[in-house]
Amino acid sequence: MACNGPGLADKPQYGIKEKNIHLFERKAYMDIIDTLRELITDIMDVEGETITEETYLVRDLGAESIDLLELSVSINHAFQITVKDDELYLRNFRLYIVEAERLGKEPVSYLAERFPFLATGRIAEILADLEVGPAIKIKDLVSYIVYRQED
Amino acid sequence: MKRHDDEKKGLILGGTCELALCLAPMLIAKEIVPVLTFRSEEGQRRIEEKLAPYAGHYETVRLDLNDTASIEAFFSRTSSSCDFLVDFAQSDYEAFIAGADESRIYSYFMENVAARAVFLKHVTRAMLGRRRGRLVYVSSSAAERPAPGQGFYSAAKLASEALYRNCGLEMAGKGITSVILRVGYVEAGRGRIFLETRPDAVNQVPIGRALKAGEVAETILFLLGPAAEGINATVLTMDGGLCAGKSGLLKA
Repeated sequence: MACNGPGLADKPQYGIKEKNIHLFERKAYMDIIDTLRELITDIMDVEGETITEETYLVRDLGAESIDLLELSVSINHAFQITVKDDELYLRNFRLYIVEAERLGKEPVSYLAERFPFLATGRIAEILADLEVGPAIKIKDLVSYIVYRQED
Repeated sequence: MKRHDDEKKGLILGGTCELALCLAPMLIAKEIVPVLTFRSEEGQRRIEEKLAPYAGHYETVRLDLNDTASIEAFFSRTSSSCDFLVDFAQSDYEAFIAGADESRIYSYFMENVAARAVFLKHVTRAMLGRRRGRLVYVSSSAAERPAPGQGFYSAAKLASEALYRNCGLEMAGKGITSVILRVGYVEAGRGRIFLETRPDAVNQVPIGRALKAGEVAETILFLLGPAAEGINATVLTMDGGLCAGKSGLLKA
């Protein structure tokens, strides 16, 4: 079976099973993005084609608080998962940075404990990006949905 | 009852009170299915007795603000969505603040404010999914003009008013509006009992009488209708003028 999953084709130690799992996960990931795209275009006045996993929810799409609320309700219905808005939208991110500093903890690992659905690499990206404005992207919503689905 | 897509439902919190039971037939006449909440079997029986002529045209559900499990159970049902909410629920605690039982203070505000906020969160999220909803909170003139001993009741009413007001402020852009109706003396339920012991209380009311349950119910019915949508995130007072002037000076 041809495998075009990024990275795995170059790793001869992965067999067909692992490659199939990767393809399946990648498809599931894209399906989630497709669903999010539909939900967002229904809620906000934006073009669906412009939405990718790297799209910023607030900076690019101009999402307001009420839009985010409606989106969290829609995610709850569409994916049948429990949604906690504070987690989904990383609302306490800056608060935890201050907490980590006060407690003398390394910020990335401290934040990783509080946002277990985010990879440490992503957390480091957000930390570097925060000064520009709200850093949450579509891919962060996907990570949360996947995490909650596995709950 | 099987719900059709165009069927409207009105959730009535505190569905065993006289005002709720007066309102329910009016909703049924407007082809709105009232869903009346009760806390006990006695309450459920009271609903069924009073609404016997309307069997099959209303629903009942156990929902107690004092019981978070009942709130969660209600909202976990797929049929929990409603187009309207009328909130009559309120427990009573009369005590001077300096003489109040501390555990009662905590439990009273937990039930009447915190639990109500949790309930409103669920209701408004459900309405948001449908992009429509109308919230009516039935408050009391005691919120503005409490008697000694009504401090906790008044505080809970004012806090609840603020919650409802903000729902209308925050959600109106998505088709969900709210209104608070402060009622004065009403010949119903606890109000009737009070007026029987203090008939002179109506001397302070400019219109010279207490309100009738039917009048309040009809006003609520109007507030649920499309003509009242512009009345949003605000308090209306229906007290015969009780709170408009200085107390005790109306009649000798």
